[in-house]
Amino acid sequence: MLVKINSIANVGLETIPVDVEVDVADKGFPGFTIVGLASKAVEEARERVKTAMVNSGFDFPPKKIMVNLAPADLPKDGAAYDLPIAIGVLIASGQLERLTADALFYGELSLDGTLRPTRGILLLALYANTLQGASIFVPKPSAPEATMVANVTVYPVGTLTDLVRHLNQTIPIKPLAHDTIRTDEEFDSGESDLKDIAGQEQAKRALVIAAAGGHNLLMWGPPGTGKTMLARALPGILPPLSPEEALEVTRIYSVSGLLAPGTSILTKRPFRSPHHGVSAAGLIGGGSSPQPGEVSLAHLGVLFLDEMPEFSRSVLEGIRQPMEDGAVEIVRVMGHVKYPASFTLIAAINPCPCGYLGHPRRACTCTQKMIAKYRHRLSGPIVDRIDLTVLVAPVEVEKLSVTTQADNNTLTSRQAKLMVVKARAIQSQRFTGTHLYTNSQMKNREVKLFGKLTAEAENFLKLAAEKYDFSARSYMRLIKVARTIADLAGAETILPVHMAEALQYKQLA
Amino acid sequence: MQYQRLANWKTVNSLAGLCDLPHPPKQLFYQGTWNPQLFTHCVAIVGSRRMTDYGRQVIEKIVPRLVFEKKTIVSGFMYGVDQYAHEVCIQNGGKTVAVLGWGINRVLEDADKKLADAIVASGGLLLSEWETQKPTLWTFPVRNRIVAALSADVIVVEAAQKSGSLITATIAQKLKRKLWAVPGPITSRLSSATNALIAQGRAAMWLGDGPPVLQKTDDPLLSLLETQALTASELARKLEKPVEDIGAQLSLLSLTGQLTERGGKYYVGQN
Repeated sequence: MLVKINSIANVGLETIPVDVEVDVADKGFPGFTIVGLASKAVEEARERVKTAMVNSGFDFPPKKIMVNLAPADLPKDGAAYDLPIAIGVLIASGQLERLTADALFYGELSLDGTLRPTRGILLLALYANTLQGASIFVPKPSAPEATMVANVTVYPVGTLTDLVRHLNQTIPIKPLAHDTIRTDEEFDSGESDLKDIAGQEQAKRALVIAAAGGHNLLMWGPPGTGKTMLARALPGILPPLSPEEALEVTRIYSVSGLLAPGTSILTKRPFRSPHHGVSAAGLIGGGSSPQPGEVSLAHLGVLFLDEMPEFSRSVLEGIRQPMEDGAVEIVRVMGHVKYPASFTLIAAINPCPCGYLGHPRRACTCTQKMIAKYRHRLSGPIVDRIDLTVLVAPVEVEKLSVTTQADNNTLTSRQAKLMVVKARAIQSQRFTGTHLYTNSQMKNREVKLFGKLTAEAENFLKLAAEKYDFSARSYMRLIKVARTIADLAGAETILPVHMAEALQYKQLA
Repeated sequence: MQYQRLANWKTVNSLAGLCDLPHPPKQLFYQGTWNPQLFTHCVAIVGSRRMTDYGRQVIEKIVPRLVFEKKTIVSGFMYGVDQYAHEVCIQNGGKTVAVLGWGINRVLEDADKKLADAIVASGGLLLSEWETQKPTLWTFPVRNRIVAALSADVIVVEAAQKSGSLITATIAQKLKRKLWAVPGPITSRLSSATNALIAQGRAAMWLGDGPPVLQKTDDPLLSLLETQALTASELARKLEKPVEDIGAQLSLLSLTGQLTERGGKYYVGQN
């Protein structure tokens, strides 16, 4: 008997319907074959399905079993076909009634018949949403991912036995209640709050500007001055994710299998901090069936590159395209995949290889040549895309001591976030009808259109350009930063004082 | 456009420079909003009508700085160096005074009219000692004496031998105004007179950067930096002011040459 079970394949963030055809033939030599460009993980489904069925108390028919995963030319990967294959075998061998057509099965089986967490459940739910009134059967631990999607009935399946009982209508499984995305949760500063960082007023200010205008930021200073802590505070002051954005971020984490079991949706902006030993595939994405890399996992959040000159040059050059396009295209033999990758880059560098150049109390042991070589390792084109540069200097001892009273005028993450949200609101009003969201995305044409300077501010900029010998690109960059500073101040046009502050964050000479 | 007669200009303190002239104007007419403050710090920029690209670059370099120092740019509203100086001044948000070589009621042509309107709109003035006088050969040199008399400094940008600007330069010297000339390529005819002014020792060489403007020294920020070099964050803490204000102030002081930044720390003075 031939049975067809509906399932899906995820290629990147795209979902393609897959028919799992199972035939249990009465004639022919007993065996179990899977065809349809199955990967090793899918091939091994044979053993898992057979054992899980037997251990759940079902018969595994000693007949010629043929499984076809259609379309046949689409490579299939992952263990998610265990469940549809098992159900197919059960129906084809007469141990289960035929199903209605609108159910989708997806999930990895354990040898004892329980279902294990499986990646990509959210994408399955989003696909099911496009079919009218579909229901999905997915592993219980991963099922909450699907509850955010409307018009889909989500059945959390604990074990194969539970599912058979449900399908036989003896003991029904209760579908999960639909949930709505709540991103307006109570303020949470995340891993580090600005108020816990001693001193560094200017670096904090730079963070606020970066968050408000979506600018990339370069922090430089000796080790142990708080660069990492500052970077970690950024997600807490970024505006909250909108429901659409939350879904977009969760989708990427769902296909990567990085959602903890039981998680329904990510509501916090991601913060990714890859080690400098990361490979190109790890940073950009890749693999034989391309998986999202760090740039995509940082989508709508923060990508922090600590010790940027230590990253291999060729790896780092790879983030140029995503920085420009907000997306990354990965081409492999198995096809090409596009992942979103729109992130705020925070880079941290030491002033020299030993780290103590310019330190008030420690001596630097580097030679001029070593310092020049170290600075040279910064990729020009990437530094060119960084709008803000700020010094994170060592803090005097008295400022650090725990016993001194906390300053009352220290900026907290909560205050910073309010400022950022206000400035973003001004920007979204300014950019209505364009494809832009933040000041940092403005190209030259838009800078001329939206970056209105008073004549005095322009005068100031010209003098600065003369004195510091700015390139045309630096010139535009300063206007963009000044625009964000003006937005933070709620000013319509860029005043000289905004321009003057922007000049503080100019590139290292 | 409406013009007005300035009755009794001799009672205006900031116009006292005009009294240095052997033949001061009998009366003055103007267009724009009268503001005696305009004449407190005037710098005249004069030069050839046939400005070269070099002259253009010179004006783009020196005028922004003068505007930044809150100087009023005075010139003769003639095409070439004069008009370009007025134009760049307005673009940089400065105030400029155009001394006309004809009567104030003359109707201007397209481009001239546009510039005149811009000068008035930006808070500057058009000035003339005549009401209905036609422009003729003798009116321009006569006008030049007012340009020189109004200004404390006179900068000659580009001038060929026998240029009208040399008349202004001579008058400026007689009136003991500070005379500057911008050096130019020795191959350029339009720099021959300016180079000659320098070579003969009549004019000082204007190199564009000028001496740093020293502002009030009671600035707490500057006095803090007198004793030690500090970063912006440290200054903000010590002065208990928001770091954004401190940052803006530091940029400003660095630009005027009063502070120097090295490795994120600020030092008093240049270098």
